[in-house]
Amino acid sequence: MPEVLRGKGVISGIAIGKILLVGQNIDGYLADYKPESKDAELAKVEKALQAVTEILQKNVKTLQERDMPEQAAIMEAHRMMAQDPMMEDSMKSKVEEFGSAPRAVLAAAEESAAMFERMDDAYFRERAVDIRDVCKRIAKYILGVKEPELGAAAVILCGNEIEPSVIANIPTEKIAGVILGQGSTTCHAVIIAKARAIATVVGLGERVDIIKDGDSVLLDGETGEIIISPTEDMITSYKEKMQKQSEIKAYYAKLAPLPAETTDGVRVELMANIGTHMDVESALAYGCEGVGLFRSEFVFMGRQNIPTEEDQFKTYKEAVEKCNGNLCVIRTMDIGGDKPLAYLEIPKEENPFLGWRAIRISLQRRDLFMPQLKAILRAGVYGKAAIMLPMVINVAEIKQVKELIEQAKIELAHEEKAFSNNVQLGIMVETPAAAVMAPMLAKHVDFFSIGTNDLVQYTLAVDRVNHNVSYLYNHFNPAVLNLIQTTIKAARDNGIWAGMCGEMASDPYAAVILMAMGINELSMSAPSIPKVKDKIRSVTFTKAKATLDAIMKMEDGDAIKEYLYKSL
Amino acid sequence: MEQKVIISNKAGIHARPASMLVQAATKFKSKIKLTAKGKTVDAKSILMIMSMGLVNGTEVVISAEGDDADKAVTTLKDLVNSKFGEE
Repeated sequence: MPEVLRGKGVISGIAIGKILLVGQNIDGYLADYKPESKDAELAKVEKALQAVTEILQKNVKTLQERDMPEQAAIMEAHRMMAQDPMMEDSMKSKVEEFGSAPRAVLAAAEESAAMFERMDDAYFRERAVDIRDVCKRIAKYILGVKEPELGAAAVILCGNEIEPSVIANIPTEKIAGVILGQGSTTCHAVIIAKARAIATVVGLGERVDIIKDGDSVLLDGETGEIIISPTEDMITSYKEKMQKQSEIKAYYAKLAPLPAETTDGVRVELMANIGTHMDVESALAYGCEGVGLFRSEFVFMGRQNIPTEEDQFKTYKEAVEKCNGNLCVIRTMDIGGDKPLAYLEIPKEENPFLGWRAIRISLQRRDLFMPQLKAILRAGVYGKAAIMLPMVINVAEIKQVKELIEQAKIELAHEEKAFSNNVQLGIMVETPAAAVMAPMLAKHVDFFSIGTNDLVQYTLAVDRVNHNVSYLYNHFNPAVLNLIQTTIKAARDNGIWAGMCGEMASDPYAAVILMAMGINELSMSAPSIPKVKDKIRSVTFTKAKATLDAIMKMEDGDAIKEYLYKSL
Repeated sequence: MEQKVIISNKAGIHARPASMLVQAATKFKSKIKLTAKGKTVDAKSILMIMSMGLVNGTEVVISAEGDDADKAVTTLKDLVNSKFGEE
């Protein structure tokens, strides 16, 4: 019998495939687990240790082959933990105590992890994470929870939360769809899925547990519908829907080589937001003219220590090269207390969005920032690269970065490594402070890129994931529009270019207005490019300008939105 | 057979050096132990080694019992002195 669940569709597209559970929550499995005799449970521990050791050995080998020595070393340490004599003894004695193999494994992990957490040195305290990680793998093996192993067919990834590194490490063609229990549309897993146009449904809550590994599922990323074990009829009707979608896709594909130009000849550059260097190729297929935002966070996430200059260089170089002479804007690390990283040691903060994050961390942690700056400068040799700083609020921050860039160049020259002197330096305008001060900031940088997700949040003091206030979140709010206009004007007055890399840029109505304000570039998740381009190619600049004049006189954001939908 | 050695790499015995020690130790048949800060642990257990929190400058006694004890102690000592290829 087919079972229908409904979540929130966030990335449109239809996917049909088998479920691969990649969730981190094993409580359900633990509750269902029926232990056998003590001897049988002991044997299960031994078998699981051996099996996980073998899996880890394979992981190490693949990572070495892919030239990722640091990650290979970490997996090697994990393998040793799985083979550790102390761990095995501890697990076995816990079987005596609990009678259940998976519980014994997890209890032994907790005990060792707690021992590490009591240690003085921060590095060792953080190893608790590794121990829990390895033991969870062992417990999962006993419980029969599959590792995300990929076969030939593309799968639908499903879990309450999916670690961004899990999605980032799976090639796009192997993922047909994504289902998440949690409801955020801005979590990194969703952002990556968006960059790769993978049909995604979120917000199932606890109902996500109904979906089991290997289930056949039909997923509609537009309506949020998920059908478990669909009938033939259902599959047929959805295939028809897929057909229609592919017709739209074909129309959009024809747009790809055409410029984003109004009927009276005003052009805007459309660029892509990407999460990993692997996303560039699919972005080019949508007709992007370069990369307006390369989120370097993924280089920093899903690993145990600071990425080296060499690791970063390889990634950036590949992205820059793939841009084929078009600009590739690399944003420096934009991480804060909301997604703490083991090696960053960010203390618990009351208010991470107003705390120690992004450029504020980079300026204090030179060990983190210098390798990144050097890696980008080196990548610049292979095409057109730019450095973009997140969360800037004043001129002093830009000046400090400029000094560090000079220092990085001196170091690179000493190390006899090739670097580019033509790497542009720009800032994200995503704080009200930066927007207000844009006329002064413009004198110190080569470009502005307006980050609307944060600019709207900070300007309106609205957390958009808070259901009680999210109705206030609107990028057409006059306060936001005024700040954007100030920023674009400041850029033009000072002869630098202005772009946008927030979600607003992917709203076709907003794109027309921004173009009328004089924006040079719009950067968005690649699948949004065709619909924005289609809109721009359907209007005249004169009309856009008149519409802008009209809305700038209006008092209410919702009224502006309505007016735009009617008149454009 | 035992010998003293001082941890001289800057980062101390974190996961990578610890795994190198275990890799080296498991090649020998002898029972090998590390003693530091009043604690003695099995050199074939990465968790025990890491749990000692061996930072730069810590003095460690490497001891071994068995047929290949001499070679085991020398090998591990050389490894520590090589700073595990780090700074």
